[in-house]
Amino acid sequence: MIDNPIDVAERCRHSLMCRHVCPIGNLTHNETLSPHGWAQLISLERRGLSTWNEETVDALYACADCGSCRAHCVTSQALPEAIAAARAEVVERQAAPAVVYEMEAQLRKWENPHVQEKPVPADDTSDVALFVGDDVHFLRPSVLEAALKLLAAVGVEPALFGKGRSTGYLASSLGLPDLARDLADTNVEELNATGARKLFVLTPGAYFAFGQMYDERLGLRMPSGVELMEVVPFLAAKLEAGDLHLDKSDDAVAYAYVDPTHAVRVPDRHEAPRRLLRAVLQSPPKELFWRNERAYPCGNLALAFTQPALSQSLTEARLKDAVDVEAHGVITEDAGSLVHLEKYAPSFDLRVQGFYELLAAHLAS
Amino acid sequence: MKTDSDGFSDSMSGSTELASVVEARKAGRYSPLKFHYEMIRSELEEIVGTDHISTEDSDRLIYSSDWFWAPQMWLDRGHPLPLPDYIVHPGSADEISQILEIANKYDIPVIPWGGGSGTQGGALSLYGGIIVDLKRLDQIIDIDEQSLTVTAQAGINGTQLEWALNERGLTLPHYPASANCATLGGYLAPRGSGTISTKYGKAEDLVLTMQVVLPNGRVIRTPGVPNHASGPDYMRLFLGSEGTLGIITEATMQVDYLPETRLLRALLFDDLGNAIEAGRRMMTRRLDPMVIRLYDPDSTALRLKAILDLELEGAYMVVGFDGDPDIAALQEEKAMEICSDLGARDLGREPGERWWNHRYDFYYPPKNLKMPWMFGTTESVSTFDKIKRIWEAQKVAVEEGYSDWDVTYIAHFSHWFHWGSAMYSRFIIEQPPEDAEEAIRLHNRIWNTAVSASLENGGMINEHHGVGLKLGRYMRRQYGEGWNLLLTLKQAIDPNGIMNPGKVGFGR
Repeated sequence: MIDNPIDVAERCRHSLMCRHVCPIGNLTHNETLSPHGWAQLISLERRGLSTWNEETVDALYACADCGSCRAHCVTSQALPEAIAAARAEVVERQAAPAVVYEMEAQLRKWENPHVQEKPVPADDTSDVALFVGDDVHFLRPSVLEAALKLLAAVGVEPALFGKGRSTGYLASSLGLPDLARDLADTNVEELNATGARKLFVLTPGAYFAFGQMYDERLGLRMPSGVELMEVVPFLAAKLEAGDLHLDKSDDAVAYAYVDPTHAVRVPDRHEAPRRLLRAVLQSPPKELFWRNERAYPCGNLALAFTQPALSQSLTEARLKDAVDVEAHGVITEDAGSLVHLEKYAPSFDLRVQGFYELLAAHLAS
Repeated sequence: MKTDSDGFSDSMSGSTELASVVEARKAGRYSPLKFHYEMIRSELEEIVGTDHISTEDSDRLIYSSDWFWAPQMWLDRGHPLPLPDYIVHPGSADEISQILEIANKYDIPVIPWGGGSGTQGGALSLYGGIIVDLKRLDQIIDIDEQSLTVTAQAGINGTQLEWALNERGLTLPHYPASANCATLGGYLAPRGSGTISTKYGKAEDLVLTMQVVLPNGRVIRTPGVPNHASGPDYMRLFLGSEGTLGIITEATMQVDYLPETRLLRALLFDDLGNAIEAGRRMMTRRLDPMVIRLYDPDSTALRLKAILDLELEGAYMVVGFDGDPDIAALQEEKAMEICSDLGARDLGREPGERWWNHRYDFYYPPKNLKMPWMFGTTESVSTFDKIKRIWEAQKVAVEEGYSDWDVTYIAHFSHWFHWGSAMYSRFIIEQPPEDAEEAIRLHNRIWNTAVSASLENGGMINEHHGVGLKLGRYMRRQYGEGWNLLLTLKQAIDPNGIMNPGKVGFGR
């Protein structure tokens, strides 16, 4: 766990070196809503030059917690973790936006932000486990069906867990670390019960949660000896090794690949989805300007609840990026990103295609 | 501009009027001044739209400081700075024009804001007023791949512009350490230099034409190319004016193809004078290096250890050549002959390349200069016959004059010309006075010492950071009678004195 994460703000308040990759700063053009602005707000509150009031809290909750600033920091300053810690202080003081407390109640009772329905208990055991999560379970189950089909094609039959449960990232991002830890604890307990030695996740967001956030923000150790792996790079390696066979699609739509939310937090994964898409699409996917290590998130972040207008702007910016490169459709694998893209794509006359679904539909017979 | 803010030292600071305003605010009443303030806000809002104006306290607080040590220290010690009254984010030159008309009408200061990354206090709202944040003007208008130019709005971020050019195999060969946060307008307004300016020139050498909004609101475009003979080149008035004579809103810049090769090499000299001579010979023989970065012995010992983990004694030099591989290799070979003749030890490519790849690491925390330290960059530029003398004079004056404070003086020679070099010197005190007033006075005294040493030995006080608030007090001394010419021009162009008052030596 990071000791005194809020102190990171003291180091970041005078650094402007990540300004260029902050999606919120770039969307709002507001100095306050940029990494150094948030760090300054935190440090100036400590110096008595500012207080946590409606206005400053609104600014604090405008950070997307997307990880771009940290990913581009040569010393990997944990500013997102500092902001999450500052939000936790605000929550403690009962000064957070009302929606944070509403979301706390929802997550506490239902363990997901979407519906009033509890997760499905895990009861499988296997050497390999797959975390399902809340977005896939409640919003886009076709992602899971497709991913399982692809894994089966390479001989992997995972035990499922976390069916309908948040990773805890949302709670952490909202400034609710205790709740986040409870959710994470439950996920890890379920993982342990599967007996798995290999943990698959479907998205960079889940990879970040299990691989980094649980430890750094929540002080929660993953079970020793369990290997964490994202499904997409695993499938790409199988394709490379000749163990996965995909047919070319007849679909001639010019798709752009949208690196999913949190992709910047997993720097070695950028080539994998592209390699898989090249095997299926008639022509390589078009590349957005904001891609790979500089990929912007879609709006499926805590912002969707605290700052819905900003969340929408983030997603629309991805779609505009696709239009600018003359794409007619977008592809991504993250269920949350897909849901947000689908919501606004019609305004941009763009199709939205699920990544796993596309690949599963083109498994060679 | 008078407002009824809680008195964070805006234009009314210290006045009895302010006290009454604050009292009224505490009593839950708006002051009479609030009425006028709100009326003006509405006028500004009509121009830029409700989403692009802020009078929120948090925004005013964040926009109260740029990257100058003094205001950062002031905030660090828990003291408020003068606040801007309004922050606007215009979306066009026409909107800026209308904003300036209002500013003239009500006599309100206007402070242009790019990335807020200036080190001289050029973006401080000393008298309150309107911060005109240009970051909404972030569009690339045209990339001309035949003439090799890019035309972009002034608020575009430096690295984002570079990424867009790189997609076409092009580069804007202006690589300042601030590229990640600075804007195109911020490159030009203080006459900035980048790492490879020795070959490609400063930002001011790369600009062909600019659109500028004058203080009276008129929008002008300078001639399409700079190298003409149709009278004086008035474009240059705005380069270095730092927003005191107008607001740059668009620029056409020369770009280059991404180089086929970049050759970096490191050398070590026992003697700084020999190293400077090596640089002089490379420049006067027109070997065209993209970079010569020469660290004085103290800088070599301190900074190279911190940044590159190199422990060396002497004067460390990195030399780089780029472009056509054959030509670059030949240029490098000739440069190595010069350095060898002057006793340099060739350290090879790896440390040179490591320097190139990590040259900006110094600006990331915790490697950066940081509070509560005191620091200042007392750079100078001069001809070859004077540059070493200026270094010696500054070093002696600062180190001996402030030995009680255990001051560290380091320097490197960063930007080279056919006739001379820029010396990027810096003082650092790791345990400055805790009291903010005492700290700022000590800081300014060291500055006076260093700048005087430079001026007395024939230096210009600055090569690329600009003047801002910090160096304004030296302008008359630097320019002599010529300063009156600039004052006359300022009065003619900005008769109401609304443009960035208190900067570049111009008053309110």
